[in-house]
Amino acid sequence: MDISVTLFGGLRHFLPAGSSFNKCSLPLGEGEHLDALLAKLPIPADKAYIVIVNDQKVAREDYSDIIIKPDDHVVLLPPIKGG
Amino acid sequence: MSWHKKILRVNLTTGSCTTEPLNMEWANAFLGSRGLASKYLYEEMDPAADALSADNKVIFATGPLTGTMASTGGRYTVVTKGPLTGAIACSNSGGKFGGELKMAGYDMLILEGESDKPVYLHIEDDKVEICDASEIWGKTVWETEDILAKKYSDPLMRFAGIGQAGENLCRYACVVNDKHRAAGRSGVGAVMGAKKIKTIAVRGTRGVSCADPKAFYRIVNEVNARMTDRDEMSRDGTLAMMDVTNGFGSLPTRNNRSVRFEGANKLNPEAMHTPNENGHTNIVTNGACFGCTIGCGRICKIDPKHFSVKDRPEYHGASGGLEYETAYALGAACGVDDIDAATFAGFICNEYGMDPISLGGTIAAAMELFDIGAIDESTTGGIKLEFGSAEALCQIAEMAGKGEGFGADIAMGSKRLCEKYGHPDLSMTVKGQEFAAYDGRSMQGMGLAYATSNRGACHLRADPYGHDFETTEIAGKAKVVAESQRDVAFIDSSGLCLFPGGCGWGMDDYVELVNAACKGNWDPQETGERIWNLEKLFNLKAGLGKKDDTLPKRILTEPADVGTGKGLVCRLDEMLPEYYQLNGWDAEGVPTKDTLKRLSLG
Repeated sequence: MDISVTLFGGLRHFLPAGSSFNKCSLPLGEGEHLDALLAKLPIPADKAYIVIVNDQKVAREDYSDIIIKPDDHVVLLPPIKGG
Repeated sequence: MSWHKKILRVNLTTGSCTTEPLNMEWANAFLGSRGLASKYLYEEMDPAADALSADNKVIFATGPLTGTMASTGGRYTVVTKGPLTGAIACSNSGGKFGGELKMAGYDMLILEGESDKPVYLHIEDDKVEICDASEIWGKTVWETEDILAKKYSDPLMRFAGIGQAGENLCRYACVVNDKHRAAGRSGVGAVMGAKKIKTIAVRGTRGVSCADPKAFYRIVNEVNARMTDRDEMSRDGTLAMMDVTNGFGSLPTRNNRSVRFEGANKLNPEAMHTPNENGHTNIVTNGACFGCTIGCGRICKIDPKHFSVKDRPEYHGASGGLEYETAYALGAACGVDDIDAATFAGFICNEYGMDPISLGGTIAAAMELFDIGAIDESTTGGIKLEFGSAEALCQIAEMAGKGEGFGADIAMGSKRLCEKYGHPDLSMTVKGQEFAAYDGRSMQGMGLAYATSNRGACHLRADPYGHDFETTEIAGKAKVVAESQRDVAFIDSSGLCLFPGGCGWGMDDYVELVNAACKGNWDPQETGERIWNLEKLFNLKAGLGKKDDTLPKRILTEPADVGTGKGLVCRLDEMLPEYYQLNGWDAEGVPTKDTLKRLSLG
């Protein structure tokens, strides 16, 4: 299955080649977890970001517990400050 | 030392201009800029005085690091009693004016009394004169600067002044410097208007020394090397936040009826960088303030074919464009997704001298009043003030700037507007000041920060961002807000900008710079807490209290409709007692005797 992933702000630099402005579609096997999906993006380990699945924020410790389903929408946000 | 140890005092009633030594005991306790000017204001005026009377004072204050080689060392603060809020106002700006004032040899400029005719102040180092302003009174900020720049034939002269909004005592009139940077919040420009002082023209040729120049030079380079993520801020500016809050579900939309705007992708950085159907690109380049190594400013052009400017070539040039806050207030808050219309309304704010956050927040409230039938076209002068109407936004913005027709009602601010038309609960304000671009339901810490901000709703009085994006649970938020309010007060008082904090700097980097420039071992928590409590004392004497540390009914009772905070209201009542306790205040939010003694305030 292909999962829709949106990357905002500077995280856009880690989209696969050929992606649209801030979205991509990543292949994932049935029953695979969120951490497997995130591992497909070349985001450095020290780069902080927030993960939202279907409008719900997911805590870091839960990445390996969340099973991704075909219609899920995954959003990655950089934790920037306001101005 | 990085202080000049000199104040310029101008009495507009008597016409006297004098200098005096800076009170160094106070400087060592309150650092500079916001903190030190607040101390002077607190000691010199009755906080209960009318903000628009001669008894109020306006202080233009630099920090010890203003005018130095430290990155972002160009900030200054305007401190006064705010006519929008009745609270202490301290409005911070960048650009090049602050550095120039410092170069002229002054840590601070205190304006007191009021003139009986329009004047402006001309400063060239030691030469200071109050000049007749009849030629520029009634002119816009831009016209004023052009006229005086031509008169003095000095391209390095800098200006900070008001447009017609300040002259007309618009409650959220701001002080604009360098044509598009502003001490924007709380109506500091209206206080200048009441005193009939149009602008301050300053040219300085002195340097700024510091306690240990060698160490300072080394530390400046070291902390600059620790600055990261600058490319992103240069390319997208603060507008990068638009996608984040919209994705998270904390972008106040249509007067906070929603927390997500379907048109956000037409106002985001990509919209700014992408040519439209006419081949026009909104952004021209980025811009930087004095000494800045980030350059988050937006320099933009409106599409000449856009309805707002198609027959008005004077608006076809490049000027200060949409920041995140402007794009929220003149976009999402009003349901407008037209980037050129929002840019035009932003130009109007710079030209006439209005705070775009308060203007947008007030127009949004008016749009909701129109939507529920509390006002109609007979009130608005025939304008269909519907959410989403870019035409109405542009028309009303100009009317507010000129104080014409219904624009005079808009110039009162959201609180007074909603009270006038019988729906005070529709005003999205704290202490009378309009919300910034974050919703306090999905960002609970920001809700607490708005409610407790000494200058009214504000996104720059605390730093709850990281914690709020991490969790909507309220545990720990009171501590984050209380401690970050102190850190921010310290940074604001140094003469540096808050944004390096979003580009890799921690408090240690700021402190290292201050220690090298000012000599000493500064504790930002201690100094910041002293400043925060002093501002609180001013407000208490001005008549504000616990009743004012609150949020609009909508944020406390109507759950967020979508996003990560869906179903939540702001749990302010649960956070506030802990926040008071952490500050050493009693249950009514009054600093205890022990707290004041500990901070050398009592």
